[in-house]
Amino acid sequence: MVTLTIDGKQVTVARTATIYDAAKEAGINIPVLCYAKKLLPYGACRVCLVEVEQMKGRLIPSCTTPVTDGMVVTTDSEEIRKVRKTVLEFLLVNHVVECPVCDKGGECDLQDLTYEYEVVANRFQGEKFDLPTDEVNPLIERNMNRCVLCGKCVRVCDEIVGYGSYSFINRGFETKIATAFDRGLDCEFCGQCVSMCPVGAILPRPFKFKARPWQLKEVDTVCGYCGNGCTVTLGVKANKVETIRFNDKTGVNDGNLCIRGRFGYSYVNSTERLTTPLIRKDGQLVKAGWDEALAAVSKGFKAAGKNLGIITGARLTNEEFYLLKKVAATVGTTNLDHSGGECYKGVTEGLKQTLGVTASTATFPQVEKADAILAIRSDFYETHPVFGMVVNQAVKRNHAKLSIVADKRGKFGKLPDARSLVTKPGLELNVLNGIARVLLDEGLAVTDGVAGLDELKKALAGFAPEQVAAATGVTVDALQQTARELAAAKNSAILLAYGLPYTAYSKELATAAANIAILTGNAGREGSGLYLCGEKANSQGAIDLAVLPGNQGLGAQAMLAAAAAGQVRSLYIVNEDPLVSYPDQGKVEAALAGAEFVVVQDLFLTETAKQADVVLPAASFAEKDGTFTNAERRLQRLHPGITSPGSAKTDQAIFQALLVSLGDKVVYTGTEAIFDALKAGTPYAGIGYADIGLQGAVWGGDHLTVSKQLVPVGGGATVDAPFQLVTGSALYHSGTMSTHASGPNAVISAPYVEFGREDAAALQLVDGDMVQVKGSGCELQLQARVDNRLPQGVLFAPYHFASAGLNRLYKGEASVAVEISK
Amino acid sequence: MTEAAEQVTEPDIDLTGANAILDKYVDMHGALMPALQEIQEFYGYIPESTVHLTAERLNVYTSQIYGVLTFYAQFHLQPRGKYIVRVCMGTACHVKGAGRIADTIKDRLGVGHAETTDDLKFTAEYVACIGACGMAPVIMVNDGTYGSLTVQKVDEVIEKYQAME
Repeated sequence: MVTLTIDGKQVTVARTATIYDAAKEAGINIPVLCYAKKLLPYGACRVCLVEVEQMKGRLIPSCTTPVTDGMVVTTDSEEIRKVRKTVLEFLLVNHVVECPVCDKGGECDLQDLTYEYEVVANRFQGEKFDLPTDEVNPLIERNMNRCVLCGKCVRVCDEIVGYGSYSFINRGFETKIATAFDRGLDCEFCGQCVSMCPVGAILPRPFKFKARPWQLKEVDTVCGYCGNGCTVTLGVKANKVETIRFNDKTGVNDGNLCIRGRFGYSYVNSTERLTTPLIRKDGQLVKAGWDEALAAVSKGFKAAGKNLGIITGARLTNEEFYLLKKVAATVGTTNLDHSGGECYKGVTEGLKQTLGVTASTATFPQVEKADAILAIRSDFYETHPVFGMVVNQAVKRNHAKLSIVADKRGKFGKLPDARSLVTKPGLELNVLNGIARVLLDEGLAVTDGVAGLDELKKALAGFAPEQVAAATGVTVDALQQTARELAAAKNSAILLAYGLPYTAYSKELATAAANIAILTGNAGREGSGLYLCGEKANSQGAIDLAVLPGNQGLGAQAMLAAAAAGQVRSLYIVNEDPLVSYPDQGKVEAALAGAEFVVVQDLFLTETAKQADVVLPAASFAEKDGTFTNAERRLQRLHPGITSPGSAKTDQAIFQALLVSLGDKVVYTGTEAIFDALKAGTPYAGIGYADIGLQGAVWGGDHLTVSKQLVPVGGGATVDAPFQLVTGSALYHSGTMSTHASGPNAVISAPYVEFGREDAAALQLVDGDMVQVKGSGCELQLQARVDNRLPQGVLFAPYHFASAGLNRLYKGEASVAVEISK
Repeated sequence: MTEAAEQVTEPDIDLTGANAILDKYVDMHGALMPALQEIQEFYGYIPESTVHLTAERLNVYTSQIYGVLTFYAQFHLQPRGKYIVRVCMGTACHVKGAGRIADTIKDRLGVGHAETTDDLKFTAEYVACIGACGMAPVIMVNDGTYGSLTVQKVDEVIEKYQAME
């Protein structure tokens, strides 16, 4: 620790602190433009200049100067004010002053400083910038005439996002921020640059001329897309979510968001939202009142009784899950499952057998400090982008060794010294087994208190590195290096992402990952963890609350099969569009046709809802009160920012009304009462609703206690065909919900099939060509995209889009053999 | 037309040469400058496709390379002439009539500062000082220096290079 004096105040801070940090800790505010808490010190703007007794004769930039013992600092004096004012005058020489029409007006750092330092006139004169505005993309507008060259956008895009859209170009007076070749922005559109810009140079286009900052009501809630559980702060005006506000004070994400979080809110305001219940009469869905709809639903469910099947999405709150379970119990059915259930079932079973848990064993902050990271199957950028940013920082700032076992080269693979263990789809298991084998062969394995060692050794007989290399194409060296790094790491992180399009080998992959966690000593060690990352906002909640088949109950797939066979007579599908998102569309079609009475509860008239007998209009995350549990077991509070359109209700309200209609007498007085009721027998038992504060509450603590049971697991199989198709998540989308949001749709609005360069060249394909993809007895027409991620013979198609009909082809396998023709 | 719509249409560039150059630098830290210099030497300028190739192979952001290329005057993103005519505009040359020399070149070749003839034979560049003030006014054509110039002598130099391949 270092002690120094700032403005006469004694301050003691860490040795690594800068003068700016120290002042902040002492409650002294130094003005800044280029400084941001989460970026490395830069020192570009010179607004934060201070006087230091020991460094007389010049002013010192406080944001880049480290503290030293006995330093005497003055942050405000006549001289300092004069210099800061001059710096502002310099900035205002070129800066185009158009505050009345600038969306930043009212929260612009330059505007505020100009006001504070009373820069009424400018002693300098020069040319105003007259650069064209980048209005090419629909999400981010760049007006470089307002830029102050603080470089925050350049740095955030590099340091945190790892995309590198921007750079300083040219020299001297002509210096400006630009993209490569100074063209329009064409990137991931996470909008991190928007959130960092201190002036009105980078703005969210959807928010243009919508509201002044002070007219917005700010409501902190939790993003409704993936399991990362980012805090999103809604900017609400007149009961409409107009934008997502920057907030780095609450929650897990440090103000970082991806395109879904920042621009994907727009489905909330969609004019296509359902506003009244619909009932099928004479073959047509017609508008109806709630009383009529609920009466029809409860009559239908009562008639079905134990032959009712309930499938829910994983974006309901914990309180809603609980009420849904009550609905099932009241009707008397045990056929209950959540969408992720199909793949989570495998993953959780795998983890349960080995580590004895069904959740991530540690929390996100540990990943940032990990020395070695193993990412399995998914490039986390596609499924959990903000978690991906945490990995970025671990690698770029803390030099963590990153290895990725996957079927394509994603963004992770471009991180410094990242090792991509690319294999054919389905053979990831073999690679993991190979790594486990190296750990054992080289005597690196932790075996104290580990059960099942002999069985595992026996099972790994066929997974010598050379054998694995021959089967998978991953080099022996890569397997060995990965194993050695993981074994040597003091702290390590093993990441496993799961979701609807990743069902193949779920259990086996989780088991193999857990084996590695045990053998490397990761399991149960402070600072290390195995991360199970659910696809949806409350996937973990669904597992924790066991929204799963009860005694003799059917899981989602079994329910669909039984419905097709007429055994399950009624289906209640909540918050999910299985006709689009489930593997094997034919099976879902048969189920919907076979069930006598189908109720769909959703925000939109989805493909599945179109087939329903009753459709109940539900609410989005922005309208809800309650809790989500994220992928690190953190419970976080949602707060409603707006009311639902028309007579749409939250799922919570719908379930309550339905329970009353079904004859359940218990009425809850509010969300807290439901939370208190649901806790018994769940991991949430020790948590009070009021304990879930701004940073949420993690059940089980930062580290879960785990068992160490090694379980042998065989290898996978791959398809032997010239072309095989894998499906998954595209970065810009999440499930099917985001396809109703104009933000992500502005970037990717239609399905596509992605080719690697070699395949594209061999097939003479270029971006945008239409191709026929034939396989599993059906043929799809898709637009081709060419990129450099995929190895030869492997194609990728995202699963979000209804129009693609991808699930006619994909039935839950690791990959599907396909034929391609132009 | 917007900035982004204004895509450079570049003739197909054979990337074999660039690939061979980059092979040497793939695992070298901080190799961007020498790699770009060699690429420029090979192609005469930096074609856009080599920038994308360099970005991918050296794992550097394309934007960052573009930043480097626009910062240093030594890099050129447009094809340049076989013969680079550098007209010295330093103080001594200026006094001795560098302006007239530049005008003559512009008149004969039709190119001013940083411009290239359509046949890609000549590029003119006005430079600050080439350090040969004793023989002002002076020009350089590639590595050859021509001093104490008059309009007539400039014509002779131009004719000499025009006659060459």
